[in-house]
Amino acid sequence: MGKFNKWNDRVWNFFASVDLAVALFIIISIGAAIGTVIPQSIEPEPVIRFFSKFMSVSSAHKTYEIVSLFDLNNVYHSWWFTFLLFMFALNLIVCSIDRLPSLLKSFKTSTKPYPPEIFEKMPIKKTIEINNDKILEKVKEVLKKKGFLTHLFETSEGVQIQARKWSKTRLAVYLTHLSILIILSGALIGTFFGFRGSMNIVEGTGLNFAISDEGKAIPLGFEVRCDKFEVEYYENSGMPKAYRSYLRIIENDQIVKENIVIEVNQPFTYKGITFYQASYGFQPTEHAEFRFTYVDKTGKQYDINALFEEKFKIPGTSVTAYVIDFSPALGVDEEGRLFNMSTDMINPAVLVVFEEKGNKTQQWILSKIPETWETPYGKLRFNELWGVQFTGLQVRQDPGVPLIYVGSILMCIGLFICLFLRPLNYFITANKNKVTFYSQSAKGIIEKQIDEIIKEMKGDKA
Amino acid sequence: MSYQIISIAGLLYILSMPVYIIYILTKNKKLGFVATGILCSGALIHIYGFIQRFKEMYSINYSIMRSIPITNLYESLVFFVMCIILGYLFIEWKYKNKSFGVFISILAGITIGITDLLGITKEVQPLVPALKSNWLLAHVTLSFIAYAAFAISFITALLHVIMGSANKRSFKYIFSTFLLGLMVFMFISVILDILTGVNPKSVKIFHSTLLNSSVILSIFSWILLTALIFLFWKFGDGIIKILQNFKITSDFLEDITYKVIAFGFPIFTIGGLVFGAIWADQAWGRYWGWDPKETWSLITWFVYAFYLHAKFIRGWKGTKTSMIAVIGFLVTIFTYLGVNLFLSGLHSYGSM
Repeated sequence: MGKFNKWNDRVWNFFASVDLAVALFIIISIGAAIGTVIPQSIEPEPVIRFFSKFMSVSSAHKTYEIVSLFDLNNVYHSWWFTFLLFMFALNLIVCSIDRLPSLLKSFKTSTKPYPPEIFEKMPIKKTIEINNDKILEKVKEVLKKKGFLTHLFETSEGVQIQARKWSKTRLAVYLTHLSILIILSGALIGTFFGFRGSMNIVEGTGLNFAISDEGKAIPLGFEVRCDKFEVEYYENSGMPKAYRSYLRIIENDQIVKENIVIEVNQPFTYKGITFYQASYGFQPTEHAEFRFTYVDKTGKQYDINALFEEKFKIPGTSVTAYVIDFSPALGVDEEGRLFNMSTDMINPAVLVVFEEKGNKTQQWILSKIPETWETPYGKLRFNELWGVQFTGLQVRQDPGVPLIYVGSILMCIGLFICLFLRPLNYFITANKNKVTFYSQSAKGIIEKQIDEIIKEMKGDKA
Repeated sequence: MSYQIISIAGLLYILSMPVYIIYILTKNKKLGFVATGILCSGALIHIYGFIQRFKEMYSINYSIMRSIPITNLYESLVFFVMCIILGYLFIEWKYKNKSFGVFISILAGITIGITDLLGITKEVQPLVPALKSNWLLAHVTLSFIAYAAFAISFITALLHVIMGSANKRSFKYIFSTFLLGLMVFMFISVILDILTGVNPKSVKIFHSTLLNSSVILSIFSWILLTALIFLFWKFGDGIIKILQNFKITSDFLEDITYKVIAFGFPIFTIGGLVFGAIWADQAWGRYWGWDPKETWSLITWFVYAFYLHAKFIRGWKGTKTSMIAVIGFLVTIFTYLGVNLFLSGLHSYGSM
């Protein structure tokens, strides 16, 4: 039994030690750093490609085997990294259980008077001599006014006062440590009861599932439709200014929510599942529609939607027209030829053929350049090509997030108290007319405070 | 343009360095005031340039919250230097002690100088959609204030290690004098690089020294670097001990190191990690994703947490703890610049 206890103590002390904390700090840091250098990918190719930059291909393959054996290509979800984080949490818990009771006890128990030798060794020592019988009362009064808790002892050398203030701020360390545990448990809840995935929804279509990072389909229980997706660009540049999706939610064949607009930094949540605007892309589909507005000579407007090469009538005339080419970003090269600059909808343009009694003319219409809207048959504005872009959404459900927020706030509070409200301790001995202040810590504030206290006592006397 | 104003400020920081040195050697109080004066006027011009840049940003973004000029690598380096200088001037004023200004001016000079040598754009750019958030102000400014605090603690910790090491063969002494020699060499090299750079777009860091196209000059530069490091190793403790005439004692340096870290660490925690996590939660749909920038911030946080634990619990005293502060700043530099230059990730706004 004794042997068992000894082992018990050893294990306890191991987990309660700061050395373990420091060792974990170092090992976790190194592990995490490795993960930022080696490509984190479950697929072998990127990893092998990375290593073949430094060595021959065959040794890169061998290196990959070692890497995947230790999960170095998936560090943050590997068993050993999780184990280290778990050890870190255990270390924090055991440390706190080990130290907290004795700290709490020190708040309650009245201390004993210290022998004077201890005071003589303290770095701060200040003496004043005042001829005043009520000097002791004065000291106590000033200390009380400054919010100190005092203990008074009669010793053979005179009166000894122990004054302390803000000693409870020592608890803030435990608050900080607790906050880390709260954050870690929030993360744990997120991994077990939440999910992360992404969906690419083409304009005009909908999806009722997301794809997880591992490539599995996650059913959502409702359908998300993308009615429209648009990108705004900065003037005269291909740099996106903003991009947004107009979504609707369909559940059990009924529209539950409409006209939802999401943008980068402006997510939307439905039934605990949050959708984030993450990316976009070009994907031609069969339902893609060219959208025009025709303005006739009297100023009347008509909306025209047409598929690729689908003939449409120009209202009020005998002209038929159809689209034969499209460019998302039409540019002109040095020799005056037209070319397509990118697949982003920076400057969408269509080539429209007009047919009147067998006569064919064609014209490029650029959505951003009004001069090109003027045709021999009236003003035809090209609005957009709808249904060729997809919106990339991040999808997430994470019931652990509230805990993360609570933990973060507690951590901030704890750290500020820890670092800025340090406990103050003074020791004062009064012997006849001589009053001496001592303090253990060499911090500037304490010295200043003692000076203030002394000044106040002298000032009152004068 | 704002970057020209900021270049003038950088020039003044570089100028203040020799004045600080002569002040220390001659102990002439007037020169001390001149050095501080140059640094102060540099700071004022810098603030003026910063405000001008703010106005330039405002004219494209039309939002006060989102016009703070810290949205690319150049702007962030400029803001970082401004925080270092203002922080140092505050310490100089509070402790009436101006002798580690030499090293601050070296650090500021190198940082402003390399903005010309990394080939990064100095033009005002409109915001990409991901940066359009009010968290930009809170997250980025606080992060760089914390980085600047760590930079100041690095200087004091480095001096403390050199001053406090009894043994010249100890690793910490060799390492610290190596860093000091390297810093001084970089300072000289950056000035030469800018002076000899004909075409500002093609200049590269060290092109006039270590990487000079002339083999002789290149070899000479390497020899000079080695010699500088050797000199600092050989006479470093002596040089630093001159500072003791200016009340810069080992205890003072240790105390300042601690205070600056105690200031920077909670700011880094709140601004860098917590606000960063909240913003990432809103913009990317996760509060933590082991993005290289996030990971390295956590490592930085661990190093400084280690520093504080070593200080409080283990009762480590003296140069050992300061050594952690030195390493902490090296990790900070990697988090700040290294991640953007060498690793790819979501935090690519600060890349080149």
